[in-house]
Amino acid sequence: MSFLSVRDLHIDLGEFYLQGVSFDLDRGDYLTIIGPTGAGKTILLESIIGFWSPDKGAIYLGGRNITSELPEKRNIGIVYQEYALLPHFTVYKNIEYGLKKKDPRDMKEKIVEIAEALSIDHLLHRKPATLSGGEQQRVALARALVVEPRMLLMDEPFAALDPQTRRDTRILLKKIMSRQNTTAIHVTHDLNDAWALADKVAVIRDGLLAQFGSLEEVFKRPRTPFVADFVGATLMEGTVVDHDHGLAVINVNGFTMRTLDSVDIGTTVKLALRPEDIIIATRPPQDTSVQNSIRATVSTILYEGKTSLLSLSAGDTAFTVLVTNQSLERLGLVQGDTVYAMIKSSSVRVVDSLSMKQ
Amino acid sequence: MAALKKKVAPERLNFFKAGLIFISFIVTAALVMAIAALFMVPDVKDVWESLQSEEMIFSLKLSLWTGLLSTALVMVFALPIGYSLSRFQFTGKGFVKTIIDLPVAFPELVLGLCLLLLFGNTFVGKFFSALGLNFIFTTQGIVAAQFFTALPYACRIMKSTFDYINPRMEFVSRSLGYSMFETFMNVSVPLARNGILASTVIAFARCIGTFGTVLILAGGTYMKTEVLPITLYLNISYGNMGMALTSGIVLMVVSFAAIFVFEQTEVSL
Repeated sequence: MSFLSVRDLHIDLGEFYLQGVSFDLDRGDYLTIIGPTGAGKTILLESIIGFWSPDKGAIYLGGRNITSELPEKRNIGIVYQEYALLPHFTVYKNIEYGLKKKDPRDMKEKIVEIAEALSIDHLLHRKPATLSGGEQQRVALARALVVEPRMLLMDEPFAALDPQTRRDTRILLKKIMSRQNTTAIHVTHDLNDAWALADKVAVIRDGLLAQFGSLEEVFKRPRTPFVADFVGATLMEGTVVDHDHGLAVINVNGFTMRTLDSVDIGTTVKLALRPEDIIIATRPPQDTSVQNSIRATVSTILYEGKTSLLSLSAGDTAFTVLVTNQSLERLGLVQGDTVYAMIKSSSVRVVDSLSMKQ
Repeated sequence: MAALKKKVAPERLNFFKAGLIFISFIVTAALVMAIAALFMVPDVKDVWESLQSEEMIFSLKLSLWTGLLSTALVMVFALPIGYSLSRFQFTGKGFVKTIIDLPVAFPELVLGLCLLLLFGNTFVGKFFSALGLNFIFTTQGIVAAQFFTALPYACRIMKSTFDYINPRMEFVSRSLGYSMFETFMNVSVPLARNGILASTVIAFARCIGTFGTVLILAGGTYMKTEVLPITLYLNISYGNMGMALTSGIVLMVVSFAAIFVFEQTEVSL
């Protein structure tokens, strides 16, 4: 039996609900749950941790049915978007709080160690209110991780952070999670979190599990139009062949792509492209600032409202592009046409963060 | 922003706005004058002498200890009641809430009458007598009267205090291995510190000032169940203005102090 097994979970809290959610995770898995606001992501987390008891279904952790176990007995950690630090305690006392209850031996050493790993060791004497959002979130992570929980749940942990802090915290989290081999579930609406951290992805909509699978599976083979629309990106694989003026040059099956993300020469990487980040021209573009221009063939055109999704193929690689119907008409595009897809190097994202330089 | 405000506010007088502000000031002025009268009318010597009278000292002492005891009891009950009303969904919650709130709008005299009947010749009264507690026309009755009068205010403040505390702080505490009770003591109570202070001072002010309930349940007996409001009432009836005004001033000072502390805590009622 897998490490975590959620079986046919039903819960109804009025405004939020879940219906028949089932999935399994292995030890050390990192699952990101994505989905629109109000889909039931948070109550799924809070059911696993034991704050709500399900109307139907069961949760197994480490082979044991924990469905009716008290939250304090489950040994699962949680980190919230708004940090939920205890304002009347210092950073040190916040981190110490769980240890004092669970394992009061060598507390000082453990606290200093985790604080160093999360670069908050200089803040231990401060009160949470005096810290920045990124610092507070690292304290919340330290508090949850220091007790070595069997599993860590995170509810939009980076949503309140600015983009730079978000990237830094993500890298820090990735490091610490792979070191401790902690099983994690991370609720987010930022696909970058999924790309950087997850090996499994679940998409939830209206209390139903729309899709569950490996990162690749969900992004490459979305099972429903909703998932396709929600995850939206094309993934492709390539090899880093060169560095050119700070850009990495990646060979993808016959054409090259340049990206701003830093990766080592020789590594194989996954790239993500969002359909709305690609510009289409019918003639080879000249005198533009765009670094990537790919010659491709229009294989299908899917009309939807004001916009259309073009499926393009360049060699063996397929990707989708979002254009307005007005542009489509102006360019007079039909199936089989040859077009040039232009992509800024900042829009080509390396998503396999293990190959990313840290 | 400032520039925007300037543009929106017209130069000419807004009669609606001015009218509302005028009404607020009229009522405030009336109250201020009434309160000032209490301090202006009596002469200092009279008040000083009244303060030292045997009756006043008895009344002050009795008010103080019954008030403190009732307040302590009120808080012992208001904390759990406020917390359950804020955190838990249970059958009969609406009923509990309505009944506990009822004394806010209930005439004190009627509340006193109800308590008198309850603690009289019913099984409840007999139960308490068996425990050595007699509430009718006794100082214990003063505490009971004050308790029921002040409890709803304290419960309301405690409920709204707990409403403002993010339950996720409690969730985190439980995920770290603490039971519900430990979490209540470690997280909820310390975070409710201001609310507890606010509700304690308001409860104390209500207890000290309770008149009708005390009069009916404990009786207004000279030098026996005579708390400050009773002193005021008895002396007004005898035409003994010095004593009446002095107890009025003491009560007023207590209320002002309570409201001042309450305002500092920034808790909503």
